Amino acid sequence: VTTRLSISNSHNEPETTLSGSFYVHGPAGCGKTTLGVTRLLSLVQQGIRADSILILVPQRTLGLPYLNAARSPSFPPGGQPAVVTLGGLGQRLIDLFWPAISHPAGFKKPRQRPDFLTLETSQYYLSRLVRPLIDQGYFQSISIDRNRLLGQILDNLNKAAGTGIALTSLADRLKAAWVGKPDQLHIYDEAQECALKFREFCLENNLLDFSLQLEVFCHHLWPSFLCRQLLTSQYRHLIYDNVEEDVPVVHDVIREWLPHFESALLILDDNGGYRSFLGADAASAQEIANLCENKIHLTNSYIAPPAMQAFSEGLSNILLREWNQPVNPSARKVFRFTHHRFATQMIHSIAGEVKRLIDQENVPAGQIAILSPYLSDALRFSLMHELDLLGVTSRSHRPSRSLRDEPAAQCLLTWACLAHPQWEFPITTQDVRGAFMLSIDNLDLVRADLLAQIVFRPKRKPNYLGSFDTITAEMQERITFRVGQRYEKIRAWLEDYRSGKELPLDIFISRLFGEVLSQPGFGFHQAFDNAAVAARLIESIRKFRWATQTTLEHEKSPVGQEYIQMVSEGILAAQSLQPYEEQLDDAVLIAPAHTFLMTNRPVTVQFWMDIGSQGWWERLFQPLTHPIVLSRRWNPAEKWTDAHEYASNQQALARLTAGLIHRCSGKIYLCTTGLNENGDEQRGPLLKAVQTLLRRLPVEKAGDHV
Amino acid sequence: MFNPRPAQAEILCYTKGLMGISAVPGSGKTHTLSALAANLIINNPLEDDQEILIVTLVNSAVDNFATRISSFLTQNGLLPDLGYRVRTLHGLAHDIVRERPDLVGLSDRFTIVDEREANDILNSSTQAWLRGHPILHDTYFDADIPANRVSQAEKDWPEVMVNVARSIIRTAKDRQVTPDMLQRLLAEIADPHPLLVMGSDVYTSYQQALNYRSAVDFDDLIRMALAALNADPAYLDRLRYRWPFILEDEAQDSSRLQEEILRLLTGQQGNWVRVGDPNQAIYETFTTASPQYLMNFLKEEAVTPCSLPNSGRSTESIITLANHLVDWVREFHPHIELQEALTLPHIQPTPPDDPQPNPTDNPQAIFIDQGKPLDSEGEINWVIRSVARWLPDHQDSTVAILTPRNFRGAEVVEALKKANLPYVELLQSSLTTRQTAQLLAQILRLLADPGNPTLLANCLQAMLVRHEESSDQKLYAKTLAEQLKRCVRTEEFLYAQPGQDWLDTISPQQLPMDQRDELVKYREQIIRWQQASLLPVDQLVLTIAQDLFIQPSDLALTHKIALLLDHDAGIHPDWRLLEFSQQLEAIAHNERKLAGFTDEDSGFDPEAYKGKVVVATIHKAKGLEWDRVYLMSVNNYDFPSMEDYDTYISEKWYIRNQLNLEAEAVSRLMGIIQHDPFLITLPEGDATRAARIEYCAERLRLLYVGITRARRELCITWNTGRNGRCLPAIPLTALQSFWKERSNRGSSA
Repeated sequence: VTTRLSISNSHNEPETTLSGSFYVHGPAGCGKTTLGVTRLLSLVQQGIRADSILILVPQRTLGLPYLNAARSPSFPPGGQPAVVTLGGLGQRLIDLFWPAISHPAGFKKPRQRPDFLTLETSQYYLSRLVRPLIDQGYFQSISIDRNRLLGQILDNLNKAAGTGIALTSLADRLKAAWVGKPDQLHIYDEAQECALKFREFCLENNLLDFSLQLEVFCHHLWPSFLCRQLLTSQYRHLIYDNVEEDVPVVHDVIREWLPHFESALLILDDNGGYRSFLGADAASAQEIANLCENKIHLTNSYIAPPAMQAFSEGLSNILLREWNQPVNPSARKVFRFTHHRFATQMIHSIAGEVKRLIDQENVPAGQIAILSPYLSDALRFSLMHELDLLGVTSRSHRPSRSLRDEPAAQCLLTWACLAHPQWEFPITTQDVRGAFMLSIDNLDLVRADLLAQIVFRPKRKPNYLGSFDTITAEMQERITFRVGQRYEKIRAWLEDYRSGKELPLDIFISRLFGEVLSQPGFGFHQAFDNAAVAARLIESIRKFRWATQTTLEHEKSPVGQEYIQMVSEGILAAQSLQPYEEQLDDAVLIAPAHTFLMTNRPVTVQFWMDIGSQGWWERLFQPLTHPIVLSRRWNPAEKWTDAHEYASNQQALARLTAGLIHRCSGKIYLCTTGLNENGDEQRGPLLKAVQTLLRRLPVEKAGDHV
Repeated sequence: MFNPRPAQAEILCYTKGLMGISAVPGSGKTHTLSALAANLIINNPLEDDQEILIVTLVNSAVDNFATRISSFLTQNGLLPDLGYRVRTLHGLAHDIVRERPDLVGLSDRFTIVDEREANDILNSSTQAWLRGHPILHDTYFDADIPANRVSQAEKDWPEVMVNVARSIIRTAKDRQVTPDMLQRLLAEIADPHPLLVMGSDVYTSYQQALNYRSAVDFDDLIRMALAALNADPAYLDRLRYRWPFILEDEAQDSSRLQEEILRLLTGQQGNWVRVGDPNQAIYETFTTASPQYLMNFLKEEAVTPCSLPNSGRSTESIITLANHLVDWVREFHPHIELQEALTLPHIQPTPPDDPQPNPTDNPQAIFIDQGKPLDSEGEINWVIRSVARWLPDHQDSTVAILTPRNFRGAEVVEALKKANLPYVELLQSSLTTRQTAQLLAQILRLLADPGNPTLLANCLQAMLVRHEESSDQKLYAKTLAEQLKRCVRTEEFLYAQPGQDWLDTISPQQLPMDQRDELVKYREQIIRWQQASLLPVDQLVLTIAQDLFIQPSDLALTHKIALLLDHDAGIHPDWRLLEFSQQLEAIAHNERKLAGFTDEDSGFDPEAYKGKVVVATIHKAKGLEWDRVYLMSVNNYDFPSMEDYDTYISEKWYIRNQLNLEAEAVSRLMGIIQHDPFLITLPEGDATRAARIEYCAERLRLLYVGITRARRELCITWNTGRNGRCLPAIPLTALQSFWKERSNRGSSA
């Protein structure tokens, strides 16, 4: 069956039946993904088997619109399209072709099944290898926490796999680009040595981390006739969305595969490249897009009105130092600038304005996003608390947050420790008090403390928790019977559990959550953020169990105990699971700006907090790796100087702000503070660019200064 | 509006290039430099990402500059906060390193250890080394120490070694020499000096301890800033673009590295204005600071030299006395090596019709002859009696008692307390640090034990009296706290069930409405913090700080405390709120001076303390002025003059040949670093003598600074010291004779 795709530029409306390959590009909000989804539906409606359609995305959650379409009742019955990342596709095929490829790929136990590692389980195994080296003095000259250290070693493995640069040449490449103190050079060698040790360990134990999955796919599966035959015959139609967010080896595969598809639609975001710190390469994406027979440029935004686009353009020109470009005065209509001396005042003012927007301008809460470069606990707490006082529901989204720092995770793990006294983790009254506070709805700190002081007996192992019924009537009255009743329910559940067979930790938490804590009257019932943390925790433990059970059983260590130990040491963070899942509840979103972008969800109003913060501009601190030096377009003979750093940061900021602005349909509030939490003045590049923009715009009321 | 004098107006005409300004005390250099910064912003339209960089010596001057420049800009219709940046050298170095920590191998969360912490680390490193080398002192102890004093000398010895190690580390850092490099340099020498071996080993362990904490000390900050600028020329270019003009205040105290950093930032064709008074260089001992850098700069061909010779601060008599000190030193000082310690020009009074004229002259208001010699206590009593007589009639005037050293200032404070005279300390002020840490500790303690009514009440009391010293406020806070202590069931105050609010059980007679409102406000705050109590401790502290503090210094201090606690939390995963609160209490009780976060940072305004006696060291008094000034302890111990009978603080009685071990070690270190065999093999004692000259010269300048703090009245006194053998300092005797002669001349005329 041949399909055709034609697109009317004026309405961005797809019509059916065009054959061949298409490259569609445009800014965010111009309907590219909508077009992709429409394309999927029209293909299926024309009788094409859904399971012959491959929908490729660089990250699982970017496939959500396609999955939602395929799961909708209107989707024709029959098969389902494959909505996958190349890594995901690779996993399926590795499993399938394992007997054929395991030996040539260098695995030492080709007769045993492979185990696929997540980022966390990779970190776990890597930490076991790296720990003795750190004790020997490795990485002593840099100060970085363990979790970040492991993450960057894995990052180097992934970058090598994603670009095709040899793993053994990474250190030389990084050293050649280094202009700082020469006594730092050895850390690159140390990082490479750790990466190679880890690779060796994986090959010996049939473990496949992300980098190895990608390498096995590219070097052993894709070149194999059998595998290629299977793929090209199975998938006849391709929709590849957000091509610019993928790594170049995936682009290489698609370059070769493209001629074999009956139809292909490649979608690129003009301002994309947000995942470049993970190795995404917009330049190589452009190269394969250029191979398409038809090119379509979408310019009309469904989201951002012309004035918003003028604002985006004006700000980008200033950031990229194209100062002779005029600024369209309409840009002034879509943003408002507010200055406060202190963060507390800024938070107070934002909360008040959010309330006003909801009450007086009827903006739904879910259409408001409050964004900042980083979202610290203090900032998040203060903002949510302030909104809460005004009766505004909010939720926050922080995928890079470590589990160890999540009170909800600590609460669940405290219950796990209480239920498994044999693991012998130290539990303090304060931990128990925290668990009470979060588990029992509306329980305040004073009563939680009273209850914990009375019922918790750390030395009364295994029955740590006493009964509420046995405490004095006066205390019962002070704590209240409502609280006592709920406490008793949890205690009874735990006692019941302990009398039965020990369950895997993830199942224990799932049951406790489902049967008690998520029920009315308990703390997780209406707490969406906490429920999300619980879900992340459960998934993290489950994957940890799958990947380590064999090893740990061999070592006779309970998986749950090892997991909690790793979390408390900060090695397991569960920070990359379900990272950008879409949530549609009607609550104000509070998120780091970058995270918001990756959710790819437009809103009516955005607040940009602390635009004077240097955080909007500076790159992540990555002493062991480098996103650009370890990319294909980097000349290995060149030094990475401040000129590169500056240009790259300015471009990243221009890309970030354009991405945000194109995802806003109404108004953007630009908020600054004179002093940050450190007491320092705030004069970062974004603030300066906004100031330049303001000076170039016709004089109006310049903003609100408080 | 600023109405400049002719000399000031000349400076304000500056538009570009290099300019060096020699300014006398009270000549309005801060004001002129601020006006110049504003002029440059107004007349040289900078790009939005460019700033005038103003570098000054101490934190207290930062606010002062910012306020003045803002005021000039506002007068000219511009936004007050943009277009300039005022920094101390450490602040500037921090900015440079903070922007690119990777260039010098630092993490983005590096911390700066304060002096106290650095000293703790240095002490423990040195003590550990000495335990392994218990007989080093045999090499240096005087063979004739009386037997009954040997143990005292042995007790004192580690402190001397700590000072030697500190000087070696500072010098090595100043010369960009790492511990490894120093070890290698020493390995090249056949028989390295034992003090250098000690210093090098201590340096290695000291630096390891800093690395472990992901921290740097102040010296690191400076050398790393320079290293970052040298590492990446593109970064340097970017900063040169950002700061097209550099204005440097107090350039007489510029150090080698400061000069190097600013020279790099200025570049070949850059714009750099340096203002200073070589006669006020008082921070030189065992630092690389030197007025010579400014003097050399003034002589450079490309530099336009200017001066600010007029001062409206003091009466003509005081100016005459200060000028005479300069003349006497230059012409009659008995030791030729010290004749360059003070330089011309003289201070000139203001021209007629000056907007800030000199106060009316009164030669009788200068007192430099106390009559008979007084011992240490006698001198204090004399000064206290004098100020007690003066104060009642001068409630609208300012007065300061200035001492050469802190401990002497503390003795004066004790005496003022006893005499019941109102006073203000401007010594090593760490009161704010202690109070802030103490308050945070109290709050954390309360959060650890939230049901405790005493803690709840104490916390309220501490919060209410934090900024209020008045006895009324103290009483109010105490009353309210007593009231709250009666609430045994704190949940009935904080989270009352309907109809059970503790506040409702108290009658309006017992609890007036304003007090009730205060408690309601307090309740809201505590509830909020209790809700935040599940956050990681650093975030909890920051949350509390946001509610409590608005001063930049408080916020900065809290941020530092938060980082410390976060670090502790990493090392002790088992610590909970109670342990963190104990840690904070330790900071509070240690009187730890968290560097950069002291009272001085917010600036000290003597005018705010009329009718009170300000007690300060002469160093701390720099840049300030009072109507009446007492200069104490001007004897030959605190102001020696290279006479044979003089004694020196850095030379210990039990060390043979009166050696100054710091000086001896540092000079040899310089020899090794510079591969200079002359310095390496310098005969013992030569470096000690050179250090004496340096010290005596600085003390002469200190005396000059002290004299020029006085506007109308000046009293200079001296004492015979602990052993009763001290004499008046030679320059004091010279001033006494001069003044006596002048007075006689005046009376006979």
